[in-house]
Amino acid sequence: MSTIAETAPRNQARRRMRIDGWRWGGRIFLAFMLLYTALPMIWMLLTSIKSGFAAMQFPPQWWPDQPNLSSYQKLLDPQNSVGQDFLRFFWNSLVVSTATTILSVIVAVPAAYAFSRFTFPGRNFLFFAVLLRNMFPAVIFLVPLFILMRALGLVNTHGSLVLTYLTFGLPLAIWLLKGFYDNIPVQLEQAARIDGATRFQAFILIVMPLSTPGIIATAIYSFIGAWNEYIYAYTFLSKNEQLTLPVGIQRFFSENTTDFPGLMAASFMMSVPVVVLFLVLQRYFVRALTEGAVKH
Amino acid sequence: MAHVVLKDLVKTYGSFKAVNDVSLTVNDGEFVALVGPSGCGKTTTLNLVAGLTSVTSGDIVIGERVVNDLDPKDRDIAMVFQNYALYPQKSVYKNLAFPLQMRRLPRDEIDRKVKEAARVLDMTQLLERKPRELSGGQQQRVALGRALVRDPAVFLMDEPLSNLDAKLRVQMRSEIKRFHQDLKATIIYVTHDQLEAVTMADRMAVMNGGYLQQYDTPAQVFAHPVNMFVAGFIGSPAMSLIPLEASAANGDTVLTSAEGWSLALSPRNAQKVARATTRKVVLGARHSTIRLHKGAVPGSVPAKAYTVEPTGDVTFVQAFLSGAIVNVSVSPTIAVAPDEQIWLEFDQERMHLFDAETEMALKAD
Repeated sequence: MSTIAETAPRNQARRRMRIDGWRWGGRIFLAFMLLYTALPMIWMLLTSIKSGFAAMQFPPQWWPDQPNLSSYQKLLDPQNSVGQDFLRFFWNSLVVSTATTILSVIVAVPAAYAFSRFTFPGRNFLFFAVLLRNMFPAVIFLVPLFILMRALGLVNTHGSLVLTYLTFGLPLAIWLLKGFYDNIPVQLEQAARIDGATRFQAFILIVMPLSTPGIIATAIYSFIGAWNEYIYAYTFLSKNEQLTLPVGIQRFFSENTTDFPGLMAASFMMSVPVVVLFLVLQRYFVRALTEGAVKH
Repeated sequence: MAHVVLKDLVKTYGSFKAVNDVSLTVNDGEFVALVGPSGCGKTTTLNLVAGLTSVTSGDIVIGERVVNDLDPKDRDIAMVFQNYALYPQKSVYKNLAFPLQMRRLPRDEIDRKVKEAARVLDMTQLLERKPRELSGGQQQRVALGRALVRDPAVFLMDEPLSNLDAKLRVQMRSEIKRFHQDLKATIIYVTHDQLEAVTMADRMAVMNGGYLQQYDTPAQVFAHPVNMFVAGFIGSPAMSLIPLEASAANGDTVLTSAEGWSLALSPRNAQKVARATTRKVVLGARHSTIRLHKGAVPGSVPAKAYTVEPTGDVTFVQAFLSGAIVNVSVSPTIAVAPDEQIWLEFDQERMHLFDAETEMALKAD
């Protein structure tokens, strides 16, 4: 008995040390990842408030000598041609991304629900077929889709982009949402149907509110995908007034002089909507809405 | 309230028959338990009555209507689910109000009924809580409240107590029984726990493999199981089933064990054995109908004690007899040691005899 009593605390101490070792390893790894992702963003922000000359200096100015917001003023000034372009691109991106998001949610919600709840012939085949599109690199579809869009008369329209982004975004949106619906106990709908709801009412009144986090996650995913997309926008659009931000920002590069502060300011503002979207909606991710619904 | 009739009900999934020709009648105001092991088709049967699953063939009648093709909402039923299925985003009040809202009752009437149900179930102070803020027992109560707030023709309950801890289960068991007595409600109650079925139900339908095995009062099912499955399933500890061989000796019918001993049968039991299709007969005996002796007495057979489980009131002795394990209950004052040689005497009046081939109970007439 005495040996057990003696060794037990020592074992515990050893185990605690081992856990602590892992925990510290984890913390260091996370700190490194944080720096890795945050430093470029910080550098972008710092560069955007430098003067054009200061941005090109070597060794670099770690902290801008004369921080100023002139790049932002220029970009946001509708009187100025640069500002006009930037605001138009911003608006174009917003239109394309929002349209993509709304359409993909409208299509993905019923599709995912059907995949989750109903059994029908070809269900599994269709479900994997949906992913087929995402198993190939996007570039492979560039030319075929361009030819298709030309045949449809959609080249140089935002519609071509929305359609293309849907072919990327929808499959993943459907997969993502199906996961959410799978996690909503089917008994809730059954209870609602017994309580007097039609199948559709059970979906709208009970399932939809519970799948809000899933829908929001899907929407953000679609939005970011469309917002950041470059290669299709670059291929399908050629008219200046139609360009989206990722393509438009390119115009800050030129052969002789690149306006780095302007480029960085534009990049920073481009990331703002995504960050805002996350901050506003993040609480929906965190909360498990079905908690308390059923007892496991 | 209404009666429920199931006529030759069949449900198949592909080639798998989940429910096979089940026919039974639940009288108005009757509490019927569907009981059986997992996968026996009891929950499928309940879902068929609820309309959550479509019928392959046969009829379901609730009240005077054949409801086969009606939506669940039009069947005038309420259901309590095993996992409660409370609407997590709604407060208790709104959970209770939901079935009434769906029936477009006026707001003040909804309010009155919800508060009445809350009062009956003693949860008025919980009305503003969300389901996740309730304990398991309280959630169960809300699920029950949501069923009774609407005054349906039939209550369907799918293992409503199986997620509760042992103590709460016993408490809720008597509450549901009380609730049935007060409301004179027609209840179909699915459970895998034979004790729940025996203690609560007016009649119980024992199911196995999709077939209805026996449908009778708990007392009848307990005293006269129709086959070996029912005999082994109902009662705790389970009825001991001992495979033996029948033969005639000196004009008596005896059951012989491979172990060498034989047991002479009473004339009535001999009559039963005479009806068997083979000579292989299974002797069934409940723990309370077997007497344990420390020495050989006439009519007793030798066995070996295996484990001894004192429970306070009685001590259960498990013994090996002819390759089967036999449960015997003895007074705690009798000391039995494991591996001790003992003798068992069966009560001829209360023993059961089964045809080993058909597994059906043998009857004298």
